[in-house]
Amino acid sequence: MSTVLDQIEQQIAKLSTKAVKKNTGNIRTIADGVAKIDGLSDVMYNEMVAFPGGAIGIALNLEETEVGCVILGDVSKLKEGDEVTTTGKLLSVPVGKALLGRVVDALGNAVDGKGPIDAKETYPVERIAPGIMARKSVNQPLFTGIMAIDSMIPIGRGQRELIIGDRGTGKTTIAIDTIINQAKINKVGLASGDAKFRPVYSIYVAIGQKSSNIVRTVAALEAAGALEYTIIVAATAADNPANQYIAPYSGAAMGEWFMENGMDALIVYDDLSKHAVAYRQISLILKRPSGREAYPGDVFYLHSRLLERAARLDGKGSLTALPIIETLAGDVSAYIPTNVISITDGQIFLETDLFNQGIRPAVSVGLSVSRVGSSAQIKATKQVGGKLKGELAQFRELAAFAQFGSDLDAKTKAQLERGARIVELFKQPAFSPAAIELQVSILFAMQKGFFDPIDAKKVVAAAANMKNFFTTRKDALLTEIRNKAALDKDLEAKLQAACDEWKSGYTA
Amino acid sequence: MAAAAKQAQQLARQLFKLSVVDNVVSTDRVAGVLAYVEKHAPANAVLVLKAYHRLIAVELAKSEARVEHAGAVAPAALAAIAAAMTKKYRRPITATARAHPALLAGLRVRVGDDVYESSVSGQLAALSLSV
Repeated sequence: MSTVLDQIEQQIAKLSTKAVKKNTGNIRTIADGVAKIDGLSDVMYNEMVAFPGGAIGIALNLEETEVGCVILGDVSKLKEGDEVTTTGKLLSVPVGKALLGRVVDALGNAVDGKGPIDAKETYPVERIAPGIMARKSVNQPLFTGIMAIDSMIPIGRGQRELIIGDRGTGKTTIAIDTIINQAKINKVGLASGDAKFRPVYSIYVAIGQKSSNIVRTVAALEAAGALEYTIIVAATAADNPANQYIAPYSGAAMGEWFMENGMDALIVYDDLSKHAVAYRQISLILKRPSGREAYPGDVFYLHSRLLERAARLDGKGSLTALPIIETLAGDVSAYIPTNVISITDGQIFLETDLFNQGIRPAVSVGLSVSRVGSSAQIKATKQVGGKLKGELAQFRELAAFAQFGSDLDAKTKAQLERGARIVELFKQPAFSPAAIELQVSILFAMQKGFFDPIDAKKVVAAAANMKNFFTTRKDALLTEIRNKAALDKDLEAKLQAACDEWKSGYTA
Repeated sequence: MAAAAKQAQQLARQLFKLSVVDNVVSTDRVAGVLAYVEKHAPANAVLVLKAYHRLIAVELAKSEARVEHAGAVAPAALAAIAAAMTKKYRRPITATARAHPALLAGLRVRVGDDVYESSVSGQLAALSLSV
């Protein structure tokens, strides 16, 4: 017995004193978060390298005489001549449910002061997107809680829907509303005890944003009770470009964990314009050849490989991506916007003019589209809102013509009146997403002409009153709509009766 | 400037190839290259020589096992290291010893970019990173 133990101990002793081979190099130059390193002859592309003081870097440029590395972390103590070693590993971040409710940096380290994160697993930051055979078509809805989007530009689980618009048009608000809505749905679904219910966990990746904005977002999510279902990956404007570059990939890795483990997740990249700028900065310092708008040649691949990681997997879960792009003066034909438009499965275009007119969310119905279409909608929404997009488009066209003359026939006038009311009905305050059953009820009322006698300017108040009426007095009906997800004759009759009851008690 | 550096790099690479015989830097060839550069003075001679110097230094480092040690190292141990490295890298490698008390105990052998860490300080550093 003791002989066997001795043998094992000898083996351990032999292993523990074995020399460890490392491949090393020395910093030749270091500036702006990028180091040029002599040596590292065995380094691999995208390999993690260790700098003195615990800082880590990623080898991005492998040249004949030197290696270009971006450094993640504190670069202030690094200097020329410092030794760098390869690790043989790809950059990985912690993943799992332990990250929910936490604010982490691009490397998955907690930055919210709530202590260390007890994550059991790590996932590589860079991963090949799922292949064709592993995927399943997108046909399960992901409700944003925003009536204009859920009824006209539906988003499905596993879809990539771009949110695009100028600064200050409410892009982040739509993303936050969606996250809040997922939390609301999760709470209702988990409380119902339905075994088939699949919660959606959210990941919000803030890239190059002001710290104050991130604090505001965290506070909004916390106030809405959504933080417990959300991971926030923060690479603020104060972080070096390498951290901003890696942050969305880290977030994607965290989202992939949910997808791979049979759960659904939503990831918001806020925003990819700043991400492209950070990558351009790194590329220019690495002296990579620059192309249009000084972006490097692989800027398309930068975003395509990221967004391709969003998918609905056969037999597993899904990862839905909501990338955000900021345009300048509404120019969607700039380099990065056109790239991301072509990668995604549709876009929600927000217009400054609409925003300034008080139409919020300022969704431009004409320019917004969801390529997944109605396959990601429940039947009830299709029944009450199937023709909305066409009606609104017609309204915009007629409204433009109506400006030239006052003599309009009755039909045109009626269309204009209806259109104006739909526009008003879609106005929704920030951080107050509406449940899908409530949206169906409101749209049913609109379709049946319950808002027609009300002055267009008072439709918002009337809709708010109706929402209040349904949530406080018709809870059973709402639950029935939610469970059936389609309007049969019985439900329609009940909805009609409820709307009549509301009408009799409502005075504008 | 970038084009000049590229040209200098290319010439230095050619001169370097001429200086290596059977995977070993030839002293005679290097002397010949230096004489050629001095006589013909190619464009950007300084850049060429700097690039050439770097290439030769990297190559020489590959042929030398620098053994850093905290305690005494027997000549037999040095010879054994040189033999092991020669076998591993399939090129003649000489071992040179240098005292390095900061290692506390054990050895660190450097061949080119590769470092074989078998010292106490190296193990402590690895331990501190893993905690």
